[in-house]
Amino acid sequence: MTDRGTPRATGRRAGLAVLHVGLVLFALMQLFPLLWVFLCSLQKSGDLFGNDLIRVPTDPQWSNYARAWTNGQFVRYGLNSFIVVTASTAVSTVLSFCMGYAIARMRWRGKRLALGAILMGMVVPIHATLLPNFLWYSYFGLIDTRLGLIIPYVAFTLSFNTLVYAGHFRNLPAALEEAALLDGASWPRILWSVVAPLATPATVTVAVMTFLTNWNEFIMANTYLASDDLRTLPFSIIRFQGQYRSDYAAQFACMVLVAVPALALYLYFSKHIMAGATAGAVKE
Amino acid sequence: MLPGLAVLVFSLVVPLGFSVYYSLTDWDGLGAYQHVGLDNYRAILTDDPVFWRSLRNVLLLLAATVFLQNPIAFALAALLSRLSARASRLLRTVYFVPAVLSLVIVAKLWVDVFNPTFGILNKLLRAVGLDALAVSWLSNPHTSLAAVIWIILWQGFGWALLFYYAALMTVPRDLEEAARIDGAGRLATYRHVIIPYLAPMIATVIVIDVISSMKQMELIYLTTQGGPGQLTQFLGVYLYQKAFVTSEYGYGNALSVLFVVVSAGLTLLVHRGMRVISR
Repeated sequence: MTDRGTPRATGRRAGLAVLHVGLVLFALMQLFPLLWVFLCSLQKSGDLFGNDLIRVPTDPQWSNYARAWTNGQFVRYGLNSFIVVTASTAVSTVLSFCMGYAIARMRWRGKRLALGAILMGMVVPIHATLLPNFLWYSYFGLIDTRLGLIIPYVAFTLSFNTLVYAGHFRNLPAALEEAALLDGASWPRILWSVVAPLATPATVTVAVMTFLTNWNEFIMANTYLASDDLRTLPFSIIRFQGQYRSDYAAQFACMVLVAVPALALYLYFSKHIMAGATAGAVKE
Repeated sequence: MLPGLAVLVFSLVVPLGFSVYYSLTDWDGLGAYQHVGLDNYRAILTDDPVFWRSLRNVLLLLAATVFLQNPIAFALAALLSRLSARASRLLRTVYFVPAVLSLVIVAKLWVDVFNPTFGILNKLLRAVGLDALAVSWLSNPHTSLAAVIWIILWQGFGWALLFYYAALMTVPRDLEEAARIDGAGRLATYRHVIIPYLAPMIATVIVIDVISSMKQMELIYLTTQGGPGQLTQFLGVYLYQKAFVTSEYGYGNALSVLFVVVSAGLTLLVHRGMRVISR
């Protein structure tokens, strides 16, 4: 910083200031629509059509939230989401833990083929499987059941999770496991009491990301579920596009209500989520 | 290991096999069907402008991602890597917020922002006197595709930024120092040292862009449904409508198969190409 004060340095600092303004502007762009939705959620429906650019609600209409809660079927849909998502997260985490370990640490026949299947799970768009899976699941009577949603939720998170675990195991020394093996411990025991504790950071990442992905998932739920009793939380918003179409303010409130659990989970675990999001990409 | 693979096979491999089989029929979902050989494929490839438009739109989205979103994300990531740890973390957390929202929320959110009467965008345009620009963004044929692509880029921005930020964190400090000592300015350092160093990782991000561009469906389905007049049609949406709206199971399955082939083929192609370029 010896050239402080020279015209060139001043110019550079001005340039840097512009760039920082850019950073903040982009942050605003990412957040502003959400803030706008929140502000709208506290207005009267009629006021939304006024000419004011942004109205700060002087008389917040919390009753919008009450209507969103009941008309959006929050308790029922939320409970459905919770059941399906918790089950699929647990199963997907356990399975990908084993698969990741087998890929990182073991040699076995058919490994190349298995890797191919895992890679396929990353590349193939879910949408290309909707129709064939719909037909296939029908054979087993899985359409319009919770299990029929849990299975694909596990399947389509498995590939990514397996790679996260495999990447994590590759960076762990194998000495501890070898010692346990020499002491005569069985495989399940080694996995459970030696490997699993070491894998905790990966497990948190995998579990949180799986939970979020499936919590937000819409198109499979829309395809494989038919009855209102089983629908998941995103359908609260869809509901408002039909029956309660004209209740604009409550629609905004409903969006806020659906967003809050995911946002809370994200803010609490943001470090793990961001680490996990890049784990797969950078290590390849 | 085995149960995991079993789930993958059950939900991915077998259904795709199914798809291939039914794609050779004219099944409408009910009752009997006939084997029609490759007729479905022939019809799609030679006589279905909507298929080609969907494919073109996917490629447009990919181009916008690679040439617009990624450079901005890279530049912001580079700036972030020079901020204090706290400021950088805060901003990264903010940038990633849209990526953790349900696509249903994102779609509805932008339908509202773009709403011609109460949407904030048109209110804003009118407030600054640009009334002529205040159109109904998602249903106007001139703006709908751009609007849809904008929504997708907005939602995916946090991912791109995060990838590039993680990549920038792997650049060794000495490399930058050495460039500085050799008299390279900041921009020159990025151009001649850091970007070449990161080329393999940038290539990986672009491959991920290909995969995620192919996978876009919900945001279109929930905003324009491919309209107006199929202008914003994407492969995923088109396939869904053929399958579940008009019940053309044979044709839909053929589309599914082609979709997988195109996705896998394009990914592989870009992957290969990138490896050659980044070497």
